Amino acid sequence: MAEPSGAAGVPESSDAAVLAERFEREAGVVSDRAAWEDLRLRWIGRKQGIVRSLLARTGEVPPDQRRAYGQSVNDLKDRVETRLTELDERLAAREREAVIRSEAVDVTLPGRRPPLGTLHPVTRVFREMEEIFAELGYSVAEGPEVEDDYHNFEALNFPRDHPARDTQDTLFLENGLLLRTHTSPVQIRTMLARAKDMPKPIRVICPGRVFRNDNDLRHSPMFHQVEGLAVAEGITVGDMKGTLLAFLRRLFSPETEIRLRPSHFPFTEPSAEVDVTCQNCKGQGCAVCSNTGWMEILGCGMVDPRVLAGCGIDPDRYSGFAFGMGADRVAMNRYGIPNIRLLFENDERLLRQVRG
Amino acid sequence: MLFSRSWLAEYVDLPGDSQDLARRLTAAGLNAEGVEEKGDDVLLDIEVTTNRPDAMNHLGIAREAAVLYERPLRRPESSPEEGSERVEDAASVEVEDEEGCPRYVARVVRGVRVGPSPDWLRKRLEAIGLRSINNVVDVTNFILWEMGQPLHAFDLAKLGGRKIIVRRAREGEMLTTLDGVERKLDPEMLVIADAERPVALAGVMGGADSEVTEETADILIESAHFDRRRVRLTARALGMHTDASHRFERGTDPEGSLVAASRAARLIAEIAGGTVLAGAIDARKAGFPPERKGRLELARLNAFAGAEIPAADVERWLAGLGFGLESAGTPEDTAWDVTVPSWRFFDFQPRPDGRAYEADFFEEVLRIYGLDNIEATLPRLTGADEPRTPLQKLRDRIRFYLSAAGYAEAIHFAFHSRDMDARFPSLRPGTEPLALANPLSEAYSVLRRSLIPNLVETARFNQRRGLPAVRLFELGTAFFENPGAPLPDQPEQLGLVCGGTVGTSWEHAMELDFFDLKGALEGLADALGVTLEARPAELPGLLAGNTAELVRSGEVVGYLGRVEEEEGYPIYVAEIALDGLAGGESSLEVDLPSRYPGISADFTFTHSLDIPWAEIDRAIAELRPADLVSSDLKIRYRGQGVPEGAVNTTISFLYNSGERSLTQEEVNERQAALTGELERRFGWRG
Repeated sequence: MAEPSGAAGVPESSDAAVLAERFEREAGVVSDRAAWEDLRLRWIGRKQGIVRSLLARTGEVPPDQRRAYGQSVNDLKDRVETRLTELDERLAAREREAVIRSEAVDVTLPGRRPPLGTLHPVTRVFREMEEIFAELGYSVAEGPEVEDDYHNFEALNFPRDHPARDTQDTLFLENGLLLRTHTSPVQIRTMLARAKDMPKPIRVICPGRVFRNDNDLRHSPMFHQVEGLAVAEGITVGDMKGTLLAFLRRLFSPETEIRLRPSHFPFTEPSAEVDVTCQNCKGQGCAVCSNTGWMEILGCGMVDPRVLAGCGIDPDRYSGFAFGMGADRVAMNRYGIPNIRLLFENDERLLRQVRG
Repeated sequence: MLFSRSWLAEYVDLPGDSQDLARRLTAAGLNAEGVEEKGDDVLLDIEVTTNRPDAMNHLGIAREAAVLYERPLRRPESSPEEGSERVEDAASVEVEDEEGCPRYVARVVRGVRVGPSPDWLRKRLEAIGLRSINNVVDVTNFILWEMGQPLHAFDLAKLGGRKIIVRRAREGEMLTTLDGVERKLDPEMLVIADAERPVALAGVMGGADSEVTEETADILIESAHFDRRRVRLTARALGMHTDASHRFERGTDPEGSLVAASRAARLIAEIAGGTVLAGAIDARKAGFPPERKGRLELARLNAFAGAEIPAADVERWLAGLGFGLESAGTPEDTAWDVTVPSWRFFDFQPRPDGRAYEADFFEEVLRIYGLDNIEATLPRLTGADEPRTPLQKLRDRIRFYLSAAGYAEAIHFAFHSRDMDARFPSLRPGTEPLALANPLSEAYSVLRRSLIPNLVETARFNQRRGLPAVRLFELGTAFFENPGAPLPDQPEQLGLVCGGTVGTSWEHAMELDFFDLKGALEGLADALGVTLEARPAELPGLLAGNTAELVRSGEVVGYLGRVEEEEGYPIYVAEIALDGLAGGESSLEVDLPSRYPGISADFTFTHSLDIPWAEIDRAIAELRPADLVSSDLKIRYRGQGVPEGAVNTTISFLYNSGERSLTQEEVNERQAALTGELERRFGWRG
């Protein structure tokens, strides 16, 4: 412990000035918390602090100098305290910095993601189509995948022993039933069930899986269709076109155009194949569309009066349209999946990339 | 189907631009998929739909072009110069099966010289990919591709009794057809026979014995109308498909038989020489074909189309296509009585009252008008259809929960092999899978009763591709016999599969086991307001002691377990009937959390491994002390310090009152009573 100067003689106010200089020197070399604490105890410690001992000796100072002496000691005390506080703050800031530095993270390290799963590409396409048609006032109708001849063919105006059935490559069960070749039987079931509620309009879409006896690079024995049906008084061919245009523009892009090529399906007349602007080249012509600028996307038509009548709906009073399209191709197109078989291979590395 | 432009041009003046022709034909429903220049000709590849057998020949396509380009149609010459001998004196025709053959026309040409065809004929046939055989056979093929009527030429001398009998084949009869194949016939098949034996398969193929050869002098030309269904049955039963059967199955022109036979006779006499006998034998079923008529109203047409089509256009187009029109309206309401041309007979199946459907006429007019010329509108309907069903909502919730819980959705075929079917549990044990009659292969031979076999295959597939973890789910239909019902039972089921290690150590790697899968199911059930209970079970393909049935209200609705057969990391599967997740009760009301601090207490005790957690959990529920708000399994420990056959279980309890702050003392007191009782009931006694 350092002794105040002049300890031997009478204390003087000039001692404080000398001490102040000494304090500054000592404070100047304080670099950590322990040194600071030493400094504090040495100068303003309650028991042995220099300032305290100076005060304790006030009695030894001649009375006429006491005032000046007291003043000088107080000045010293203020100075020491101010300086200590300053040093304390500086040390604290340095300590905080050290803590921050030691706890800093590399913010570029990968985050830990919650283990998110995905929905199948076909499910996503189904959902999107359902949403679009929900906005247009359609509900979703469903039906069995194992069907009978009546609902899958006969009610749809496919006569028995007619070549139109050849195009369907049907998978039969040993018990004589069949795996539906399209979701059209759902339309039949819907019309049969709702004929009694006419003139209440029917507006449904029928998403579902369908089956064909076909298995090669371009065909899968199971695939997915979305069909739609609207039946009411006064439904026109123009309404069919407008509905499909609205749907396809929402599904693809607002610039999408459509083209109708008359065709033949037993359950509609007139029937048409619908082409949309090739989504790959935006109609300019490319390899995907064989330079036509068009992509075949769906089949449609006005519900055949024989089908309406067979379901108990008066074809002279009501009309309607139906359409159907493959969901798998839309999914393949959207996600850049070149082969339908890859859709059902279920490689998780592919499935887990499906977004949108 | 290939068409030659220069052949078409015989019947109609075509536009110079073949691409334009293809476009216009396509827009009218004759999809011209290809236009290919070949020498000085252009080949059009046109996809003719099954309802248009009338357009499966050059005259038919020319008729369409004539209407589309408003040009006249030139019909080919069809009346031959006839000799004095009468056909009835040279041959006879008897039709036994009038249903199978409502019309049979025969003409005879005597004294032909069979030989090579002239260049023009050869060229026509070769242009569309046919092979020239001899002048007589080539003429019959030419007529088929010119006007659509399939013909057959018999060597008259080889017809026993110079007689044609159209009848069903007799059991055991044999016929060697032109392709050299000997075929066994049955009474479902329609044949052309002479006095002794079958000489041709009606509408499908001729017989080798009566074939026209170099030696043939006298020819009988057959130009018949065979029933579509009968030809199809015959051809299918024998696995045959010919240009003739293709047309007969779709319906030939009932009025075309005589014209075609005469045209053929004329051409044969022209090319191969000989004399056409006078007249034709025409055996026709009474009243065949019935006249097909209907009414077309312009206002209804336009209302149906959503367009304003002028009456004059309708008249011109329909007349050009061969429809007969008679005005039947009023000055304000244009209407016609329309007669359907015979070659469109089968495309106009009548209403129950025998009249043609107006929609069939609408279609004709609109395909010429052009569907692309109709303005796009939206139906003038308000409101919406039915709301989503509970099942549809349930599926959504399951998909969202599971995908948010880390599972990727898979879709598999609805069939698998019989072996796969037997390898894993079914939610309906004891049932038999439904078998396909014509499966693609053994691998797809039965309809699935369970989603698990395919999911396990896929898990293995992913494992082999080196994926460190597999987590998949599938929502789909399973199929079960349903005796007495019209259709099988087709319930939807949910399948899950998982295994492996998710994430790296950095990502707090999680090694998936039984309880991860069970947790996903419990979480899902909880989200759906359903309570599932797991009961130990033994099921095929799953590891004993690691398998449970899932029970809801006393009924088994699913199962989960570890796959017994191992390859790499263990695989866990679960399957549950969607019904088992439906109709959950979910109270929307919340329990308000306490505003006072809670006190937690852990309790560890040793008990036998034979005591299932469910029993301890039930005991806690039964003993539930006041203000106990939760009790969670914290640690299960087996190892050092725990006796063999026992386990240390640590349970975390939380006490909290909604009314006030609980004191440590009162919690201690309740906890001691609870744990004392647990110890007494379950504690290890060595």
